[in-house]
Amino acid sequence: MIKKFEDFNYYELLRISYNASSFEVRQAYKHMLAIYEENSLATYSLFTEDERKLILSKIEDAFMILIDDEKRKAYDNDLVNAGEAPDNLLTAREKKKAIPIYQTSKARANNNSLARIKKKIREKEAGDLTATMLRGDQISGKDLKNVRESLGIELEEIFQVTKISPTALAAIEKDDVANLPPKIYLISFLKAYAEALQLDPRQIVEGYIKNIS
Amino acid sequence: MRRIYSIGGGKGGSGKSFIAASLGILLAKHGKRVVLVDLDLGASNLHTLLGMQIPEKGLDSYVDKTASHLGDVALTTTVPNLYLISSTRCSLEIANLFYAQKLKIISAIKTLPFDYILLDLGPGTNFNTLDFFLIAREGFFVTTPEPTAIENTFIFMKSVYLRKLKLSLKEANLWHTYQEEIAKLSRGAFKSPLDLINILIARDPEKGRVFEELLSNLEFRLILNKFRGQVNENLGEQLVEVCNRHLYPSFSFLGNVSYDNRVYESVLARNIFINKYPYTKTVSNLQNMVRNLTGEQQESLRVKVQQ
Ligand SMILES: Nc1ncnc2c1ncn2[C@@H]1O[C@H](COP(=O)(O)OP(=O)(O)O)[C@@H](O)[C@H]1O
Ligand SMILES: [Mg+2]
Repeated sequence: MIKKFEDFNYYELLRISYNASSFEVRQAYKHMLAIYEENSLATYSLFTEDERKLILSKIEDAFMILIDDEKRKAYDNDLVNAGEAPDNLLTAREKKKAIPIYQTSKARANNNSLARIKKKIREKEAGDLTATMLRGDQISGKDLKNVRESLGIELEEIFQVTKISPTALAAIEKDDVANLPPKIYLISFLKAYAEALQLDPRQIVEGYIKNIS
Repeated sequence: MRRIYSIGGGKGGSGKSFIAASLGILLAKHGKRVVLVDLDLGASNLHTLLGMQIPEKGLDSYVDKTASHLGDVALTTTVPNLYLISSTRCSLEIANLFYAQKLKIISAIKTLPFDYILLDLGPGTNFNTLDFFLIAREGFFVTTPEPTAIENTFIFMKSVYLRKLKLSLKEANLWHTYQEEIAKLSRGAFKSPLDLINILIARDPEKGRVFEELLSNLEFRLILNKFRGQVNENLGEQLVEVCNRHLYPSFSFLGNVSYDNRVYESVLARNIFINKYPYTKTVSNLQNMVRNLTGEQQESLRVKVQQ
């Protein structure tokens, strides 16, 4: 079946393969901007202003996710889980990559925050705490925030580990539906959030989605 | 094998007739037997581009049964192997052909005894134009880089898909089932033929797929005519990409044809531009297209790869 433009995933939107390099992502992004930018002759008469804005913001999102290693991995994971992409996608790209000789400072920072969070959770004996706070089948952003704060973990630390932007994290904690990312990212963000706090990702995703829908 | 190409595009003056005539001439020079059919009923002018006076017979002689085969009204031209079926004498009334006459013409064109049959269409999106365009599985859209020409070409493309779908549904006796829904969608200037297909698939996946297949069978090429230096050289490829993503994935880019003042001058003097100015950019663009169409380019590429 032929896919509609509206249903394109980020790879299809930028017309690149699943194992495109970051160079290719950048080129494709520029190429697509040239086609869809406001004064482009190729799409001049095809879209309303709003449609064009929507497409451009989707292209922007696609670029921001695919150019960022961590975010791209999470996104790939979602594509695989949704059955949209072949499940050898993740390993296929890994293989292409050279094995790093030393960890980058970013990765180290990431590990440090993760270790710090883990330590905090251990000290608080968080298991019981979260069990009482996250009862019921609906979980609000406020519940998540309460759990995080009672563990003494800063939003910034979650950002360090998950690389989800603080604004997106804040939107999640505020149940700010208007500013939440599209569902497919939301799910991956929630998973990452849950994992950072050593919560059950499935419970969190299901509970959160149920609560906002 | 017989190949039929239709040459259309929304806007008048974009160069459909010039391109049709030029491709016809070049194909004939490649040793193919070619017939140009002027289907711009009421405003035909292919003969002028071929340097001919107003022909004494044409499509009308077949319609009024003076000639029993459409092939009999094909005129020789000054180019060996190139023939013309003119419609100059089709009066304005015939622009509103009777349905039965139209069908008769369509089926006669499909069986014309030539290697290449090129159909030169008029502007606009009326049913006759669309039905003639759809005689061919392979359609060429000619546009210039002007925003209005591009806009009209998009509209024409959409109309072609809508018409094709409607005719196919009628043929399958399914039109009445979907008529209302499709009419509703097309009144709101539907975004993409896929919207139409999705209606069918939603109702009956199996049949929907058949129609999806039918539309996929069409093969469209875009030609960017009157190309000038200051135009973005990627425009053609960009347009094709946009068509493939937002209309239907059946488009490829055949190339740019450079603007040349002398085209106008030669039309005026009833000279054949290709013959008079064979070493211009414009002619070399057209030659590349013909090589591409006849598969010669692939041939030479293959040779290169093997070496
Ligand atoms: N590549 C070109 N360079 C310059 N003039 C052109 C070119 N192609 C077409 N023309 C001019 O544009 C005019 C319209 O062309 P025509 O083929 O009659 O358009 P259509 O059939 O689409 O209405 C003609 O007068 C022709 O001289
Ligand atoms: Mg014409």
